[in-house]
Amino acid sequence: MLRALRRCRPGPVPLPALPPALGPGLGPGLGPGLCPAWAPRAVPVRGRKTRHDPPAKSKAGRVKLPPPVDPEELLVVLERYRQHRLVLSALRAEFRAEVLQRQREERLAAGGSAEELEEHRRLMAWNEEQNARQRARREERLRKEEEEQKRRKLEIAEKQARKMEAFLEEKEKEVLQLQEEAKNFITPENLEARIEECLDNPRNYNFAIDKDGRIVKRTVLS
Amino acid sequence: MVQLGSRLLRGRGGHVVIRFALGGCTNRPFFRIVAANSRRARDGKYLEQLGCLDPLPNAHGEKVAGLNLERLRYWLGCGAQLSRPAEKLLGLAGYLPLHPMTVTGAERLRRRRQREQQPEAAPADGSAEPGTSTGTGTGTAP
Repeated sequence: MLRALRRCRPGPVPLPALPPALGPGLGPGLGPGLCPAWAPRAVPVRGRKTRHDPPAKSKAGRVKLPPPVDPEELLVVLERYRQHRLVLSALRAEFRAEVLQRQREERLAAGGSAEELEEHRRLMAWNEEQNARQRARREERLRKEEEEQKRRKLEIAEKQARKMEAFLEEKEKEVLQLQEEAKNFITPENLEARIEECLDNPRNYNFAIDKDGRIVKRTVLS
Repeated sequence: MVQLGSRLLRGRGGHVVIRFALGGCTNRPFFRIVAANSRRARDGKYLEQLGCLDPLPNAHGEKVAGLNLERLRYWLGCGAQLSRPAEKLLGLAGYLPLHPMTVTGAERLRRRRQREQQPEAAPADGSAEPGTSTGTGTGTAP
């Protein structure tokens, strides 16, 4: 639950199990057979040495342990602290409210006579009214813009749909046309027959054209 | 001339604190209860003095403290923090609720005193009982 409670686990320890450096450190309430699992440490005060000086040889085996914590007492103390803080914060809030109230009264008193207050209130009302008007206008404008946007979006969507449709139609037409033309294609099966046909019906592609662009298809050969 | 060190520059933080400023001479401390910016020196410039405390008991065995409760109220309303000894003092004075450690300290002291008395009482009883029993025995026996 808390770091402090973890220190409570090694409780009082029978005497022979302890390091010998305890001797005179027995507290009054511990009795002959028990010793605390911690050694009373000296208060760390920087006297002669700075923090960069090495510790002395006599402190080589020194084990520094934190002070022991009684878990029940700790819980009781925490509960007391919680309540204390609650009361304190409530008091602070009350004092704060009082200070604010006094400041407000001071400001009102320093504000001047009733006419000034009346004027102030009137002006505030007028300001509020102006704000309301502006707000109404702004909302109207925004609403119109929204509608416009929606309409535009719809139009675009419709146009897209139409374009899509037209495209599809064209493609369909092309496909049908191709299908139609496919009937006249020359396939390996038709090859012989078509060659025969062409040979049987010779066509004359000759023509004459003069500088004016008149075409003459009837020639001497045909 | 106001010399503003880098510690006291505006825009770095700091809050109002109600704490003890130590004054007096060697072996004669005297505290002033003071509202100051938290970044000021302990005995440095303060916003307002809210009282004083004499830690040494007087001729009648009393430790005397003076408090300006109204201004204290004002500063607490403005959001001043309290140092621990200041909180304890105000708790003992009755203006704020008692600090938990005051109560805990008192309990611990009481428990320690009881523990000290019990070993004294136990040997004392042990030595007194045989004496009384022999005394009564001899007294009752005609």
